[in-house]
Amino acid sequence: MPIVERSLVEVDRLEHLELDGVDVSGDWNTFLRPRVLTDLDSKIVDWVKRQPFGDTISLCWQCGACTASCCMHTDYGMPEFNPRFFIYLAQVGDEKQLRLHSAALWRCISCNKCVERCPKGVKVEEVVHAIGRYLSATGAAPESPADRFDRAYTDNLLEHGILDEAALYRTYERGEGRKTSLGDLLRKGLLLLRTGRLRTGPIAHRTRRWAKMRTVLRARLEEDVHAVSPDQPKAPASLGGSR
Amino acid sequence: MSIAQASNEPPPAYYPGCSLDGLGSPYETSARLVLSRLGLSLDRIDDFNCCGATEVKHFSQDVSVALPARNLALARSMGRSQVVAACNGCVYSLARANHAVENDETRDRVNDLLTRGGSPAYDGGASVVHLLEFIYQRAGPEGVRAAVRRPLAGIVVAPYYGCLYSRPKCYTGVGRRPGSDNPEHPHFLDELLVACGARVVGDFSAKTICCGGGHALSDLEVSVAFSAGILHEAQRAGADVVATICPLGQVNIENHLDRIRGTYGDELVRPVAYFTQLMSLAFGSSVREARLGDNFTRPDRFFRARGFP
Repeated sequence: MPIVERSLVEVDRLEHLELDGVDVSGDWNTFLRPRVLTDLDSKIVDWVKRQPFGDTISLCWQCGACTASCCMHTDYGMPEFNPRFFIYLAQVGDEKQLRLHSAALWRCISCNKCVERCPKGVKVEEVVHAIGRYLSATGAAPESPADRFDRAYTDNLLEHGILDEAALYRTYERGEGRKTSLGDLLRKGLLLLRTGRLRTGPIAHRTRRWAKMRTVLRARLEEDVHAVSPDQPKAPASLGGSR
Repeated sequence: MSIAQASNEPPPAYYPGCSLDGLGSPYETSARLVLSRLGLSLDRIDDFNCCGATEVKHFSQDVSVALPARNLALARSMGRSQVVAACNGCVYSLARANHAVENDETRDRVNDLLTRGGSPAYDGGASVVHLLEFIYQRAGPEGVRAAVRRPLAGIVVAPYYGCLYSRPKCYTGVGRRPGSDNPEHPHFLDELLVACGARVVGDFSAKTICCGGGHALSDLEVSVAFSAGILHEAQRAGADVVATICPLGQVNIENHLDRIRGTYGDELVRPVAYFTQLMSLAFGSSVREARLGDNFTRPDRFFRARGFP
């Protein structure tokens, strides 16, 4: 099963590609003897299996259809974004190598070509997001901008049941430390107002009788966010709550 | 002229989601024009909530299923067995909820959340289709052709479907349900636009690529590149206008207009309009009625220059 993307193996690891006296670097003409990996660490894969549709990770047979379809890998041209490889690393529990890819891992834009084309029914998009979230949730890698956006989005949505795009934009941009000039904000706001594309009025665009639902969903969200990693003391920053 | 509803059954429920109500309101206005001209009707789900798109699911499976399931449950309590959504993201997450509640444990947990939150429970039974598919299935290209008053003659359109309209078929059922589109090479939009008298570019390779909208704010580098890529392919194929079926794709391109102009130049930018805006124009509405002036890419100027009132 182990197929490691040679172009992705860090140069400093090439020296260590010798296992039990056998050269496993994959160089041409090297004799590869069958070997058994005994130090598999299942903690990442266990974590992934507890995430939405994460249990489909065990169906993967490493064909690479996901990577060949992936719009980040092919259309955008980011070779280090390789879902097949991420799944492999999660399966063998190679957290160190995953961490080296943490800058690429979060950049999936959920186009779902991988899920569409996977011959085994792995929900690749959800699995890759789970692997990325494993790193940030356990503190192995810093939280990504996408994690922060997802949090801001979820928080915003659960407040009134309907998204408040203007508030989401303000909160997220401020959180990222991006400065939007007042003139720019006014220009965008006026444009939306003039074209009738801004929700106006605080009452008309909220789900009615949402308060009970908000309490129930926030409680479950809180539970799920914190229950993901019982053996890891570091919990991700709190979701929801009163603003 | 009108096409009768398939039978006496009540019209399907309509789920607007957050975008058709706000940023995508020209989409809703023009969709109403198109549906009434075709004699089709939809009943809006009252008191809906947002579907959670692709963001909420990274934190909690149950919450990400409960949010769309609440809307499906509302549709069921209206007595409807079909829900029409106009946004690809909504179609995706509603269909994903349908897939998820097939699992008994998930359904029980989600229904527990729903009932404690004061909503009816959801036990499946509400199929989800995209507005495009609904129009195609009910009216078809013939019905559309019969409704055209002012053909879009000489207008070259690039049909942009985006990612989650058909993908993944294990959720949306596109390609599996009878009468649904082809998931790899969708053609419903092509056919409807041709029926409106437009010329549709044949080799539009960006048809089903992602617009990067999921990371519209969090990954500018990628989302600008993808939205520019759509415009670039449209330019290469010689299209005057890009037709979209998803508010997120539309808004993502609009939000990045300045950056696209700055990086790739002015000549890349072309009018981007919802397919219903183009259809209602062909059905005899004015540029103002179709709200083409409310798109930031200003398709109104283009169509006025081509003699549309």
